[in-house]
Amino acid sequence: MAPPAMSRWWLLAPVLLLYGALALLPVAVIVHFSLAGGGNYRAVLGSPLLARAITNTLVISLYATVITLALGFLLAATLWRSGPGMRRVLLAFILLPFWTAVLIKNFAWAALLQDNGAINAMLQGLGLTGGPVTLLHNRLAVVIGMVHYTLPYAVFPIYTALQAIDPRLEQAARSLGAGALPVLRHVVLPLSLPGVYSAALLVFIVAAGFFITPIILGGPSDMMIANLVDYYLHEMADFGRASALAVLILAVTAVLVTVQQALPREGQHGVA
Amino acid sequence: MTVAAQQPAPVTTPNAGGGRRVVVHDVWKSYTPGTYAVRNVGFALEPGEFLTLLGPSGSGKTTTLMMIAGFETPSRGEIRVNGIDVAGLPPELRNFGIVFQGYALFPHKSVLHNVEFALLMRGVARRERRRRALDMLDKVGLAGLAARRPRELSGGQQQRVALARALVFEPDALLLDEPLGALDRKLRETLQAEIKEIQRRVGISILYVTHDQDEAMTMSDRIAVMNDGRIVQIGTPAELYLHPATPFVADFLGETNLLTATCLGTDGGHVRLRFADGAIGWAAAARDGVARRIGDSVTVAIRPERIRVLRRTDSTETMIDGTVGGGTFLGRHARYVVAALGGRLVVSVGGGDPDSALDAGTIVRLGWSRDDAQILGEPEAPPEPDQRR
Amino acid sequence: MASPDRAHGRRFYPLMVAACVPVLAFLVLPTLVIVPMALTAGDLIVFPPQGISGHAFADYLGDQQWMQSTKLSFEVAVLAVAIAALAGTSAAVALHGKRFPGRGAVTGLILAPIVVPLVVLGLGDYLLFAALGVLGGWAGIGVAHGVLVTPYVYISVATSLAAGLNPALVRSARSLGARPTSVFRHVYWPALRPGLCAGAVLAFAVSFDEVVLAWFLQGPQSTTLPVRMFTAVQFELTPKIMASASLFIGLATLTLLAQALIARPRRDLV
Repeated sequence: MAPPAMSRWWLLAPVLLLYGALALLPVAVIVHFSLAGGGNYRAVLGSPLLARAITNTLVISLYATVITLALGFLLAATLWRSGPGMRRVLLAFILLPFWTAVLIKNFAWAALLQDNGAINAMLQGLGLTGGPVTLLHNRLAVVIGMVHYTLPYAVFPIYTALQAIDPRLEQAARSLGAGALPVLRHVVLPLSLPGVYSAALLVFIVAAGFFITPIILGGPSDMMIANLVDYYLHEMADFGRASALAVLILAVTAVLVTVQQALPREGQHGVA
Repeated sequence: MTVAAQQPAPVTTPNAGGGRRVVVHDVWKSYTPGTYAVRNVGFALEPGEFLTLLGPSGSGKTTTLMMIAGFETPSRGEIRVNGIDVAGLPPELRNFGIVFQGYALFPHKSVLHNVEFALLMRGVARRERRRRALDMLDKVGLAGLAARRPRELSGGQQQRVALARALVFEPDALLLDEPLGALDRKLRETLQAEIKEIQRRVGISILYVTHDQDEAMTMSDRIAVMNDGRIVQIGTPAELYLHPATPFVADFLGETNLLTATCLGTDGGHVRLRFADGAIGWAAAARDGVARRIGDSVTVAIRPERIRVLRRTDSTETMIDGTVGGGTFLGRHARYVVAALGGRLVVSVGGGDPDSALDAGTIVRLGWSRDDAQILGEPEAPPEPDQRR
Repeated sequence: MASPDRAHGRRFYPLMVAACVPVLAFLVLPTLVIVPMALTAGDLIVFPPQGISGHAFADYLGDQQWMQSTKLSFEVAVLAVAIAALAGTSAAVALHGKRFPGRGAVTGLILAPIVVPLVVLGLGDYLLFAALGVLGGWAGIGVAHGVLVTPYVYISVATSLAAGLNPALVRSARSLGARPTSVFRHVYWPALRPGLCAGAVLAFAVSFDEVVLAWFLQGPQSTTLPVRMFTAVQFELTPKIMASASLFIGLATLTLLAQALIARPRRDLV
């Protein structure tokens, strides 16, 4: 006689309680505050601050995404073509930044990019500039910090897509007369595109949500959308507008994440 | 000494059918020092010929094809196309059409662009490309499907696209690497016929790799049987079937009876033998050119369908007696296991009439003619790599 | 079986590796310059440092406020790990080996905190705690972090269970008469222990490093070390900050080692 099934569903209670209290409830509170008094959304949406923050966020994130994708593709492709030994070495380098806190990375960049920092010293030492170049507290520094943080995120979706390409497709192309560059153009790039799109969206989502980096590496005019929430809360003590903005951010993020998850991860294999 | 493979003829032989003469000479491939995936392989693919490399997994047949295609480099030996050594050429500069297992059609390109690809790589102008590709699609019977994607096609259609793609640029030969491996029997037979038909129409030489002996027998002009990296025997399907050179070949192609006997004497190309229970019989001499002396022990192969169950009035040169052990009615023929010659013989009797079936225990007289039994050569020890270099 | 000819593109492979070198240097060097900068003898943060001295570390260790923040960060992280261990492990055990239509969605929800923008969570927690009157306490930060790091524990335990525990083992244990507690102790626990340890170490590191939630939920007595560093750096980059940053790097190294050691596959599990 079989023993009664041991139900494990009740084990989901802790995580559900925790999330309910500290994820759902806060969101509910935000929504509540955003609707209180009416007019919060209108005020936020009409504010020139928002326009500024959105523009900054989009421009900076797009710059960072494009650069990260290019570098990420290079790293992913090299990983793909490497033997097991080199692959381990490359992975160690790529994963190392994952383990360091974003704060630490930003500090390091702040120190390196300052007027008397190592980068400027190198530029002047190589004779490329006469005096120190302003590399810190501006948009450039924020982009650098963003690329540094998101590059590991970009490598893996692209690498996965490259790995999924059937090696026989490359052999077929070569047997038909394709050299290395035509193979790249006609086989590798098109079939890795889903991975590239997935990586691009992921990088963009992560970059657009940045809070710390714009403050440490950016200037006053580089305020991004997350900083605006902080501004409304701490500078203006305006709970309503802060909440309205937070709701908007959450909604957009939810849409983007859903799209990113729904994207195919790899090109078709073409096996009969 | 290896069994006779065709010796490469001088280059002055004119091209008969479509394609160039591909000669593989003394090719070896080693991945780790001391072990060889391919040893001492040599053969010629004549223009217009359908030659199959047949063997079990690991026999080196796919490695050999890959070396001809250029994806692997031989450790030793030469590969020549119409006399020209292709050793230094990467696959993209060799002029072979290849059909891979699974077809490897570009999933993101249309059928037309798949077929045009080789022409695009060769710098053919757009209008000309399109014309030739559509022409080729027509030849394989896919005229209306140019705009489709590969995933929208059936398995048979995909194969035809793969063939069209590989033939459109008029290659020196077509190489096929087990293209039908994953398919069910019915579909496989249909597609085999299609490949033969297209070859006939286009007139190209084909090198085909498979482990399926039925497939090889059906499609090939000649078969090269491979085992453990070397070619064991090359010949027409009939030659290999009726006159196998070694026990491996005899056993790999269809069912066979293997008997031990002692040499009593020779007569031209045939040998008189004494079998285990003392019975005397005749068999064709072995194909390895090694002379057998009186008293030598040999292995003889006889196909089940070549052994006749003799009626009282029949007589053949070799006659032996045996007792029927059991039988199975298989529709087209009946299969009997007969105790004879100190062992068992499998005998296949055609025209399955259940009423004339032989019951167990029946004493029968069996016979064969001297050409139906084949003495087999010994599987030889691996030769040392040629020290002279 | 023929291996693909790697000679193809062999001309390009060295070029690719060469092109990767500056990118890899870009990724790794910033982290590597922290510790040398913290060892500077001077008062400026420069690389290469002006002489070697441990005075920055002495400054850091001697600063009562900074040490209090360090202690607070530890306490917060411990609380977060405790909460996440409970929630993440129980969820992983609950879902182990079960297939059902919405499984992807449920897993996605459990992993959601990783993707939710931290400002949103930070603001929400702030408003909630303010309404409840508990804003500014260290426990609140710990609990908020608990949500944040639960996904890491979940993934780690789920992976460890999937690799080491055959659902058939549970059935056979039960058919032999074992009660749920025994089943847990003898069948589940050995399988999930490596994942739990690895996940706990990772969760600790994530909580310790975390800035945004700690920033929103800070109080006069509840300033975590990252928040203190974050505030300080907006005014002035001092070696003391780099010294405390070195602590983070040490922690990260420990985490890496722990992951490598703990998460090694064990042969004694089926």
